[in-house]
Amino acid sequence: MEATEHKAPNYIAVWAALAVLTVVEVAVVYLHLPRRLMVISLVFLALWKAMLVALYFMHLRFEPKRLLYVVLAPLPLAVILVVGVMHGFRGP
Amino acid sequence: MTAHAATHGMTGGEHAQGAVGVHTQKLGMWVFLVSEVMFFTALIGSYIILRWGTNAEWPEPRTVLAIPITAANTFILICSSVSMVKAYAAAVRDDQPGLKKWLLLTVLGGATFVSVQAFEYHHLVEKGFLPSSGLFGASFYTMTGFHGFHVTCGVLSMIWVTIRAFRGKYAGGRFHGIETIGLYWHFVDLVWIILFTIVYLI
Amino acid sequence: MTAAGTAVPAHTHVDDRPFIRKYVFSTDHKIIGIQFLFLSLFFLLVGGLLAMGIRWQLGFPGQAMPLGGWLPEGVAPGGVVSPKTYIGLVTMHGTFMIFFAVMPLLVGVFANYLIPLKIGAPDMAFPRLNMWSFWLMIPSGLLMTASLFVLGGSSVAGWTVYAPLSNTPDYTGVHLGQQLWCLSIVIFGLSSLLGSVNYITTVINLRAPGMTWFRLPLSVWALFITAVLAILAVPVLAGAVIMLFFDQTIGTHFYLPASGGQPLMWQHLFWFFGHPEVYILILPAMGIVSDIIANGARKPIFGYVSMVWAMIGIAFLGFIVWGHHMFQSGMNPTLASAFMVSTIVIAVPSAIKVFNWLGTLWRGSIHFTTPMLNALAFVSMFIIGGLSGIFMASTPVDMYIHGTYFIVAHIHYVLFGGSLFAIYAGIYFWFPKMFGKQLDERLGKVHFALTFVFYNLTFFPMHILGLGGEMRRIYDPTVYDYLKPMQPINVFITVSAFLLFASQIVMAWNIVRTLARGKKADVNPWHDCGLEWTVPSPPPHGNFETTPTVYHGPYEFSVPGAPADYVPVNQPLPAVPEGRR
Repeated sequence: MEATEHKAPNYIAVWAALAVLTVVEVAVVYLHLPRRLMVISLVFLALWKAMLVALYFMHLRFEPKRLLYVVLAPLPLAVILVVGVMHGFRGP
Repeated sequence: MTAHAATHGMTGGEHAQGAVGVHTQKLGMWVFLVSEVMFFTALIGSYIILRWGTNAEWPEPRTVLAIPITAANTFILICSSVSMVKAYAAAVRDDQPGLKKWLLLTVLGGATFVSVQAFEYHHLVEKGFLPSSGLFGASFYTMTGFHGFHVTCGVLSMIWVTIRAFRGKYAGGRFHGIETIGLYWHFVDLVWIILFTIVYLI
Repeated sequence: MTAAGTAVPAHTHVDDRPFIRKYVFSTDHKIIGIQFLFLSLFFLLVGGLLAMGIRWQLGFPGQAMPLGGWLPEGVAPGGVVSPKTYIGLVTMHGTFMIFFAVMPLLVGVFANYLIPLKIGAPDMAFPRLNMWSFWLMIPSGLLMTASLFVLGGSSVAGWTVYAPLSNTPDYTGVHLGQQLWCLSIVIFGLSSLLGSVNYITTVINLRAPGMTWFRLPLSVWALFITAVLAILAVPVLAGAVIMLFFDQTIGTHFYLPASGGQPLMWQHLFWFFGHPEVYILILPAMGIVSDIIANGARKPIFGYVSMVWAMIGIAFLGFIVWGHHMFQSGMNPTLASAFMVSTIVIAVPSAIKVFNWLGTLWRGSIHFTTPMLNALAFVSMFIIGGLSGIFMASTPVDMYIHGTYFIVAHIHYVLFGGSLFAIYAGIYFWFPKMFGKQLDERLGKVHFALTFVFYNLTFFPMHILGLGGEMRRIYDPTVYDYLKPMQPINVFITVSAFLLFASQIVMAWNIVRTLARGKKADVNPWHDCGLEWTVPSPPPHGNFETTPTVYHGPYEFSVPGAPADYVPVNQPLPAVPEGRR
């Protein structure tokens, strides 16, 4: 079996959280917040949802640490690509 | 697990010394998903660079795209992720009727998502919003189109898995295949969570 | 260190499937490796023929090419290659050589053939996926070859297909040819990714008991790291090429300035892939050469652990140097400086490897067999190619030499002098295991000697041409007064190149003759320690009768007290009376 025995997470609770976060996201858009605040909130909310899916549905919370390293490997590269090229276009 | 694999001693993979500690099919799927992350990075990264790194003209997405129906569609895809994970839980405890039910719901959820997306595309094209409609049109159709393509492949694979489930291929504790396709399904959901925010909302 | 509760023991069995399942749509990694071998040798020939066309025009500009009369008038009026055809030759030479010759030869052949055997596994983790990985190369290769023959001609934008040249048919008259290029590359990318998933998963999960990470042969380490590079870099190429394809077909303008698109973004995306790509092209070569040099010197590899970390360092740093291909693009100077620093730093792990190969040879008992000669050539030619790289790494120097034949010299020193010699070394070394017959040593040495001499005569003078200002991809150097004095060098290079091409006939003849009527080879003709040499030649389906146990590292040569000057990894080392092991 998997590396750690654990109780199955409460998938319905995760689902409810995801539903609520989606509603909040749409609400943020229609609240006409200042642009910077809206962008930061939306990015934060999206990342939170993504983390819930990754950790609970994709089971990463309960997997061996080494798998986590495999999975996280592309993220710094993605950041380097976007930041590096943005830097090239926008300047220092 | 194929007979070939079983007789050729490829079952013990997750216990190999110094390995990652997960079974081979799951590891293979995760490695593939890592490559998919880089693929969507190229597409979404280009969108980010073109929109915020250059002086290109860019309309407010909500003036072009239908937020409410897409938000509902996002919810549908999330629901299909839940039904997927319920299917996996059913397979683990060898609840075959439960597995079949949740797999069918997952197929339904995925197919609904693709249909709504197709309907939205039709609506946008009628309005005159095309891939040639500036950089927004180009990047919108490319990103959501490839995401939709991935969901479609997922739906087709899920139909095949469901057929196999009805044939009893995942009975008796053989749930690894469900876990593997589940990972792909959740990944596609995860990409959409990011796309919905970056492309539709911001 | 053995794994508890492992597997059903492996066993071999007679494969009694029909011919088509056994040899055509095979899932056996060994057959797939051999399929890759013949496919890529064919494309190596195609790439070489295209190079002959290039060299004819450069050596004898405006003169009718032999057999040029056979080409259509639109392509070569009067047998003289037209400028557009010429740049098509340049583009397709690079494309075929990189994607359809070197990559499949290094990865498709050696990763497939060697990994399961060398780690003690019966096959790859996903044999059917492996089969797909090979068979996707067929449509990919067909599309790319077809692009040579379509109306409008093949892509003419270089193997790097920069926008806006590549997505504006008005500039070039090329429509379908460029689109076929894009489709072919996307399919190739999928083939590469599926293969890489297999190699990574197999190395992580299917190692035999006792085969710990730091007992892996360096060839396996190199192929594993290469697969990781591919997983991370190839998808970015796929995304970039898809956007280019859409620019050509459905009216998008990602890389076209007219609607706010950014040609420079193509360069960034392409080279973000392109630089890790060149490490994909060299790392497996380094791994193969390490195995062969240790074998040929009858000594363990000097600094095995640092060799591993150097490869990991090269792979990691390889992701943050891509801008050095763009120094002349008008890029942000601060960004350029950052890339300059990272590029100069990446020379360090490469140098560590070179010193370690030299350290392995030092006071070794060197056997100058054909594989060893090719491996030694790799080291020396890679040194030259690497040194020219240091020149290019420095932005102010690159301002002058970018886009000249200095670069062409560099890439051919590392790709031919490096990768191809390593490929030849690997072919000579593992041929007896693959086919049960050993290639003729005398012919092998003749092939090596001719290749080595003509290769250096062909490519070394290109450094001089480049420093003299001859730009790459140029159709006729003699239109420039300042290049005319160097034209004799171009003639010299062309003649050397023809002789280099002709010399390969020796190896082709060697292969054909050996396969037809060669003597049966020994099971372990090179007296090597690897697991692949403990099974028959060729190995049976399933590889090992029983799962082997590994007792020590991969390069136990000349061990004091051992019965032979090598100890296979599945045999324990002799007891040591005193001193260190």
